[in-house]
Amino acid sequence: MVLKLYAAPQSTASLRVAQVLHEKNVPFEFIPIDLRAKEQKQAQHTVKNPFGQVPYIDDEGFVLYESRAIGRYIALKYAGQGTAGLIPDQSDIKALALFEQAASSEFANFEVHAAKIAYEKLFKVRLGFPTNEEVVKGAIDQLNVKLDVYEGILGKQAYLAGSELTLADLYHIPFGTRLYRAGLGDLIDSRPNVAKWFNGLLARPSWVAIKDGITSTA
Amino acid sequence: MVLKLYGWPKSTCTQRVGMALIEKGVPFEFVMVDLFKGESKTPEYLQKQPFGQVPYIDDDGFTLYESRAIARYIAEKYAAKGTPNLLPIADVRARARFEQAASVEVADFDAFAGRAVFEMVFKPMMGGKSDEAVFQDLITSLSAKLDVYDKILATQKYMAGNEISLADLFHLPYGVLLATAGSDVMQAKPNVKRWFDDLTSRPSWQAVKDGVKSTVNV
Repeated sequence: MVLKLYAAPQSTASLRVAQVLHEKNVPFEFIPIDLRAKEQKQAQHTVKNPFGQVPYIDDEGFVLYESRAIGRYIALKYAGQGTAGLIPDQSDIKALALFEQAASSEFANFEVHAAKIAYEKLFKVRLGFPTNEEVVKGAIDQLNVKLDVYEGILGKQAYLAGSELTLADLYHIPFGTRLYRAGLGDLIDSRPNVAKWFNGLLARPSWVAIKDGITSTA
Repeated sequence: MVLKLYGWPKSTCTQRVGMALIEKGVPFEFVMVDLFKGESKTPEYLQKQPFGQVPYIDDDGFTLYESRAIARYIAEKYAAKGTPNLLPIADVRARARFEQAASVEVADFDAFAGRAVFEMVFKPMMGGKSDEAVFQDLITSLSAKLDVYDKILATQKYMAGNEISLADLFHLPYGVLLATAGSDVMQAKPNVKRWFDDLTSRPSWQAVKDGVKSTVNV
């Protein structure tokens, strides 16, 4: 039975999962959840994702939520197909640890701040609410500090966990693109190593396939 | 060579690592990094932890930062010692459920609890003024997330299933500080209270709650 992805076509977390499915050549059926109608808060959805969010998957009866957990599950279950090494094998404890270091950093040092910018400058504006410019400025200041560190790391190695692409790199893409939409692409473009890394990620067929919205591949 | 843990004795992230080391019975030397003297921002320190934060470990020359990454590394390397299955790796589905719970801890708990504790406990220590309204907002959001925790914990003992894992333990440092910050939210819901009291009674938390110390004589 084909894997089912319950998601919204342009939700950052949904895109995160869809990209991994493409990287690993896993066919999936996309079942759109209508966020404007608050479908994700209704009982038939919360029985699967009790936090009332998208996305979740149903893989032959196995239900999983949290986009980063789903991405990891796909990468491990289909380790033998598609892009290799998205999570280092557990037989290489140090490589796995460096992956976890980069994966933790993705959320704590990048998403925390990038998500605030996306919320204030994109999401709130779409709904007609005023942007809190102080929050935006604070987040920009933090990202400048953190991306300076990324610039240093990416000057020494091609990807955040080492010389190979991992989920830790891919997971930056959805909110990274939202920075550009918010008019703050310069945070990335002004840093040559970060720009090269990020643009390389955007050029991947898996991102090109979904950047304008997720669609079923099965 | 004995593992070295560099941190600040009562830093939440340092305590997170201390707990994992004690759960796995791994002896370590604690090396204090004096945050108030700027010791985490020196060029030498930034060579080891480029974000200028605590903690990091040096395990026989292998350095690693991000407390959750360090705890995962310890749980993997010493899988056969101490508390079993803190990182369930054997079965793809058990590992996925763990990753789901670990993601929830970061995105649905730490995101609110960390900021709430910062507002009332750490901000004044750094010369700032606490904003009660910001704190109450964060607690309201956290309480809504903990309502979901309460449903999950009604049918299973721990957040990833019926066995304790790192996903549970990661909640402790900030969870405990919520009371210091002025919120009893961890005691307010029956299953959350049962689960949290179980965690705080563990010897590994008792050993670090007043500050992390070396477990070997140095």
